[in-house]
Amino acid sequence: MKREMKWSGLVLTTTLFAGLLAACGNNNDNAGNASPGASANPSATSSASEENLAPLTMTFYSEDPNPNWTNMQDEVGKVLTSKTGISLDAEFAVGDPVQKSSLIAASGEYPDLISAKQSISKFVDAGAVLDLTDLIDQYAPNIKKVFEGQMGRLKYSEEDPAIYVIPSYSTVGQQYFNAGGGFELQHRVVKELGYPQIKTVKDFEKAIKDYLTLHPKDENGNPNIGLSLNADDWHMYISVTNPAFLATGGADDGEFHIDVDTTEVTYHFRRPEEKEYFRWLNHMNAEGLLDKESFVQKYDQYKAKIATGRVLGLIDQDWDYGDGEKALKAEGKFEYGYGHYPVTLTEDYKEASFWPTGFMAGNGVSISKDNPDPVRAIKFLDYLASDEGQVLMNWGIEGKHYNVVDGKRVIPEEVNNRKVNDATNFQKESGIGNYNLLSAHYGDGVKDPTGNYYTTSFPEQIVAGFNDVEKEVLAAYQATTWRDLFPKEEEFKVRPWGASWNIPVPTESESVVLEKKLQDITWKRIPQAILAKPEEFDKIWDDYQKELLAADVEKAEDLREELVKARVRMWSE
Amino acid sequence: MKAITIDGERQVRGDKGRFWRTFLRNKYLWAMSLPFVLWVFVFSYYPLWGWTMAFQKYKPALSFGEQQWVGFDHFKTLFHDDTFYQVMRNTLAMSFMGIIAGFLVPIIFAIMLNEIRSMAFKRVAQTVSYLPHFVSWVVVAGLVTKMLSTDNGAVNELLMWLGIINEPIQFMAKGELFWGIVTVSDVWKEMGWNTIIYLAAIAGIGPELYEAAKVDGASRLRQIWHITLPGIRTTIVILLIMSIGHLIQIGFEKQFLLGNNLVRDYSRVLDLYSLEYGLQMSRYSFGTAINIFNSVVSILLLFAANGLFKRITKESIM
Amino acid sequence: MSTKKTLMGTPMSDRIFNIVVYAFVIGVMIVTLYPFLNVLALSFNDSIDSVRGGITIFPRDFTLKNYELIFSFSSLLTGFKISVLRTVAGTIVGLISASMLAYTLSRPDFQGRRFVSVYLALTMYVSGGLIPFYFLIKDLHMMNTFAVYIIPGLVSAFNVFIIRSFMDTIPYALQESAKLDGANDFTIYWRIILPMSKPALATIALFLAVGQWNSWFDTYLYNGSSESLTTLQFELMKVLQSTTSGNNADIHNPNLTQVMSTVSPESVKMAITIVVTLPILLVYPFLQRYFVKGMTLGAVKG
Repeated sequence: MKREMKWSGLVLTTTLFAGLLAACGNNNDNAGNASPGASANPSATSSASEENLAPLTMTFYSEDPNPNWTNMQDEVGKVLTSKTGISLDAEFAVGDPVQKSSLIAASGEYPDLISAKQSISKFVDAGAVLDLTDLIDQYAPNIKKVFEGQMGRLKYSEEDPAIYVIPSYSTVGQQYFNAGGGFELQHRVVKELGYPQIKTVKDFEKAIKDYLTLHPKDENGNPNIGLSLNADDWHMYISVTNPAFLATGGADDGEFHIDVDTTEVTYHFRRPEEKEYFRWLNHMNAEGLLDKESFVQKYDQYKAKIATGRVLGLIDQDWDYGDGEKALKAEGKFEYGYGHYPVTLTEDYKEASFWPTGFMAGNGVSISKDNPDPVRAIKFLDYLASDEGQVLMNWGIEGKHYNVVDGKRVIPEEVNNRKVNDATNFQKESGIGNYNLLSAHYGDGVKDPTGNYYTTSFPEQIVAGFNDVEKEVLAAYQATTWRDLFPKEEEFKVRPWGASWNIPVPTESESVVLEKKLQDITWKRIPQAILAKPEEFDKIWDDYQKELLAADVEKAEDLREELVKARVRMWSE
Repeated sequence: MKAITIDGERQVRGDKGRFWRTFLRNKYLWAMSLPFVLWVFVFSYYPLWGWTMAFQKYKPALSFGEQQWVGFDHFKTLFHDDTFYQVMRNTLAMSFMGIIAGFLVPIIFAIMLNEIRSMAFKRVAQTVSYLPHFVSWVVVAGLVTKMLSTDNGAVNELLMWLGIINEPIQFMAKGELFWGIVTVSDVWKEMGWNTIIYLAAIAGIGPELYEAAKVDGASRLRQIWHITLPGIRTTIVILLIMSIGHLIQIGFEKQFLLGNNLVRDYSRVLDLYSLEYGLQMSRYSFGTAINIFNSVVSILLLFAANGLFKRITKESIM
Repeated sequence: MSTKKTLMGTPMSDRIFNIVVYAFVIGVMIVTLYPFLNVLALSFNDSIDSVRGGITIFPRDFTLKNYELIFSFSSLLTGFKISVLRTVAGTIVGLISASMLAYTLSRPDFQGRRFVSVYLALTMYVSGGLIPFYFLIKDLHMMNTFAVYIIPGLVSAFNVFIIRSFMDTIPYALQESAKLDGANDFTIYWRIILPMSKPALATIALFLAVGQWNSWFDTYLYNGSSESLTTLQFELMKVLQSTTSGNNADIHNPNLTQVMSTVSPESVKMAITIVVTLPILLVYPFLQRYFVKGMTLGAVKG
């Protein structure tokens, strides 16, 4: 009897408890998120004049992950809330956001603010997001200022010229002060070889070959590796396939090459120049200069290999191999770091990493139809786009994260140190970096009315970040940053469509499935072609091209061309 | 069906009466099961209305009535896709290998553990063996790739040291080896965990059976063959039936993580195909069609396996 | 087979048998211990040094920083509390539902036996998909509640069948005699069958507990925006999956450098794995005694 009572008693209590929690669960959130911004400064800023600054919390859903979100309790967040009265209850995607976005779009209940990126079409189809044209016109002077002359680019499509998204990923007036791509060679390689010219793949190959002859093994007896590629899943794009067009004068338009004069679209692997590029990689493999593990290794192994210092050359982006280089630098092995070189197939081509696109619009923030106060929402976003707001988001709080010395903004040493070495904690405490993707903003190189840059990425600061070895190498090539080695933007015609990978594709379009099938074929054939014996390369390449045709590549090209042409028409109005 | 005669009518009424009498006798049992049956209806059967999406061109924006109907189009697309057949082949191959390895190894290990006299050692061994279950596939796949690599990988080093090979073998680049690598990795990771059920089953075997056998002078192997194995036969059969039902629903995580572009033709499985061409492209209807295909095949397999075992061993789940 | 048994020793074949068994088991232990020790070692290793690879079972550059970082997340504490609650509640409730159903299905005289068995079995292989289920949860007002962790998954066919297979080994005679003594079905279930099914219950309890402890997807879908209902695994996932997924537009993102610099290093991810796994590992020893043979279970058979 007693045992039975104990058992059932336990069960009862637990279920009751569970029930209680179920009831409480709903209420807890509202209580916990009442905005702390009650101490509203009766406005001192340009954008919040006779505003209603009563605390208001809005829900925000973003397809980007952000583990450093602190519910606006960080320093910048608190200032934002005090200036606008708005605080955000944010939810970020975990892993693949497509499922969650689809569910939200289908559910009929939407968060107040949405950053839907690629899924925006789902929300537009569901009628979930508001047309912001009038709101911007009446209440968002700062956003208008940032997008001056380019407001046409915010339109959704030719059939539907509403503005659903305030672009926050693409920046206005962006200048690139440093180059993080191209081909990479270790500093010690170019040093020992007397700083040879590294302009073509042959130069690149020769440098690696010569150095390997001198130093075939490292100090532990392990063989040095000429070139290693990063081919783990999507890294294929960065390290294996995109360089094929960048090195042959083709701009980055995703998987397609678009002629800037005729807007003719070709699946870029069908260009004869790229066949020769991959033939060169095949040759590198045959010569034993290419890491045999390139297509088998996982991302971690790739980085670990780099961290051992044995890899002489890379074709990658600095953020992609950065962890490996960081480990080397931590050991003081600055000679083993990498420089960036604008390598092309032959001297006839211009390295195309910096082919200008103009302002690209694209992904950003939308206001949903469930938003309790769209006017305040747009004013909030407008504040973020104001001069004051942008400086706040990028630089932080004056006196805390930066000082003004003789009219110039300067970041103190300790703060900079923390930014680099304690990045996660710094972002959580200060909030710098947590709000950049919420509204319109200028890019690097743009100066505000005080003559200072809006962002914290500018030439002097970048140069200060180089170590001595890097500076030495740069000086030997008569450059201040790696960007100097690459062709200037002025050498290219601006692409009237921006960038093709940015164009939203309607969900029912056949091109979605077609392009995936093409990618399946490509990702199988390209590694095969590179690793094959040189005699077999042509046959494999021909088979590959035939497979592409059989998979309807020409239809994919035509579909893509329609999209590009539509965008050109829309943007040239 | 009994013919209705005057006597027959009384029979029929008797049958009906028997039904209700049994029902009342079983009333506790019904009370103990009906609530759950209803529960299952709400959460497992009711959502099946979603299967209608496979026959529509589903758009999340529209309500049910507004959707456009396309009949069996999505199924046609599925069965006309060459990739589908390749993907099915891979799925079935790894499934079969997985079932065989996934049953033999844990059962043998459970029996072995059972034979260990020292309680302490037994418990430690069991706890250790199931630890990999809690390590994610991301980590395990990384470990496997590292061990099989040609750049100081443990397996190659060992084989060369033993003189079996002269040059390292690039295991992960060979498609034909992929299925084996996946199966072995899975055994490594899940064997300890899968042993738990069998140990529990063995624990239920009466110790007096072993006593009797020992008195008769049976060796340990004999005891295992005649007592332990038959004792857990029911558990094995039940698990086997359920696993056969799951033959084509094996997930995709380990195949995806262990695979690379060189072995694509061997590594892509049905669930990955469904994810890539269904959900990730927001083609819900297509994804649902694959889902239905999955379920239909699974149910057929389930009934087949169930019927088979019912006849052979008299054990089944239905 | 030589069974020359002496009073003092054991047969030769048994000795060889013993050696083989011990060797195999020890081998298995070494091989299965390795991945976990590797994760543990990495979690105590400095994050930059971890990138260099080559760490096996001992940290090379010992540090507690990874754990310090973890314990500075306040949301982990809430996550821990909720995870414990749902594990306990879910396990108890799941055990009761599965064992009750299993009992009814183990009775050969139960009318609904065949029907319910088939009805349950089918649920293991069919699903309406994510969207209908999501709508259902919404319509039942279970979004942002604790109940959504417990209620939808209450009945598991797999668990039912496993427990039933155990109950089938209990001689029916026991139940018949109890009936003669006047017990009703529920009492038989509660007082006789359940206590005799301890190995099965322990096993299923373990499966339920681990399942509850490890789930995060339901938190993501239904409670994603409520901090007070977050679970430990979900918090872990947020950090683990914070690297970009390689979406075509992502890799062109000019802000990528900034995003990548705040991604948690491998060693922190390993530390989180240890923190999340350890509690559930501690549950195991309590359940282990029920299904490692050697303890008498009061099994009075025949």
